[in-house]
Amino acid sequence: MRIEKDMKLADVIHHDFNLIPVINRFGIQLGFGDGTIEQICKEQNVNTAFFLLIINTYHDPQYFPKKHLQSFPAGSLVAYLHNAHEYYLEQKIPEIKKLITKLTEESDEKHKDNFKLALNFFEEYERELTAHIDREETSVYPYVVELEKVIETGATPKKVLARMQSYSIADYEDEHENVEEKLYDLKNLIIKYLPSVQKDVISYKILRELFDLERDLREHARIEDMILVPKVEAMEFTIRKMS
Amino acid sequence: MAGKISIVLIEHSYLLRAGMESLLMELPEVQLTEVFDGSEKRLAEKILHLKPDFIMINPKSVRDSLNSFIRSLGNEVPLTGLIDENTPPEIRGKFKHILVITDSKYDLLNRMHKLIGTHYTKKSDSHESRPLSERETTVLKHVTQGMTNQEIAEKLFLSVHTVTTHRKNITKKLGIKTVSGLTVYALLNKVIDMREINQ
Ligand SMILES: [Fe+2]
Ligand SMILES: [Fe+2]
Repeated sequence: MRIEKDMKLADVIHHDFNLIPVINRFGIQLGFGDGTIEQICKEQNVNTAFFLLIINTYHDPQYFPKKHLQSFPAGSLVAYLHNAHEYYLEQKIPEIKKLITKLTEESDEKHKDNFKLALNFFEEYERELTAHIDREETSVYPYVVELEKVIETGATPKKVLARMQSYSIADYEDEHENVEEKLYDLKNLIIKYLPSVQKDVISYKILRELFDLERDLREHARIEDMILVPKVEAMEFTIRKMS
Repeated sequence: MAGKISIVLIEHSYLLRAGMESLLMELPEVQLTEVFDGSEKRLAEKILHLKPDFIMINPKSVRDSLNSFIRSLGNEVPLTGLIDENTPPEIRGKFKHILVITDSKYDLLNRMHKLIGTHYTKKSDSHESRPLSERETTVLKHVTQGMTNQEIAEKLFLSVHTVTTHRKNITKKLGIKTVSGLTVYALLNKVIDMREINQ
């Protein structure tokens, strides 16, 4: 389904409630009433076209954003991505860690060491994801914001040109690695190799969280690769022409 | 997209294409990787490059070149023909599976579920459900000790290529891709013990 501006947001959420954390990243919270997407976006000062671009990309893995949809401020894209990062590191990861810890506590004495291995594995994943996110937050996103400022003011500082030479967005695209592999491994460890604990209630919760996070990260990376990168490429192109 | 079954569709009719797309949307385990209309240049090459698990094709979309098209695909990927009642048997016979486009949605979905099922069975009766071989276990052990493929090759008197193949098979059999995931597996299954990884 293609989500359009005159649909009621409530209907859209009924259709795909996985979108709740996504609308949260725009500052839209539940209890938003009966409005259409366009009305609610206006109330919340959100760029409707940009909102639709993101939720459609997220909702439908086949959706491929078109060039003409790229007319939104880069700053709002960066803000969206930043909020997503916060959600992963401050909510999702601690939640899953708590569940794995609980699983360890409830397991038989003789299996405790096995679950500690799983916990260590997940903590290692947390460090990797944090490093990935830090790199984007401290290096890539500030660069994007800077480029937008350059285009607005029309003045190109040497520093920015040097940065475009040394590390353009194409370099980021090349290096942008997959951060879901370990989650896939952890799912298999739980499904196939770790012993069952207390009728699998906690394991089921963990797996649900893992599937959820895996999907969220995948769409997040798709937004970075397919929306952020072309947007920044276009900005770099404009600046090169200017100077 | 880890785990999803990837399908490539070749269909020249816009309506049928849209219909197939919406049908496939109802199957969460399936991902429609690419859609072609049949007139593309070097189509077989493009498709093989995508490494799909299934290819669905309306024979009418490639018309005269159906035979050469099927030949150039080889027989690695099972072909599903999108046919109707009038499709002659000699054309039907070219496909591993068929989908009758005039069937009801219910029948189509049923057929699709069966088709997807063959994918999993195929996987599990080939090598994937067998335990690791002795060689693979040795390779796994060295991987968890942090050795590179080159180092493992030298140690076991194998070519780097062979070590790479072993590693691919280990990952396929276990469903574990990363070195630290493999380490957890090896510890759980007593392939190594704690002291060995600290070496
Ligand atoms: Fe990110
Ligand atoms: Fe990223």
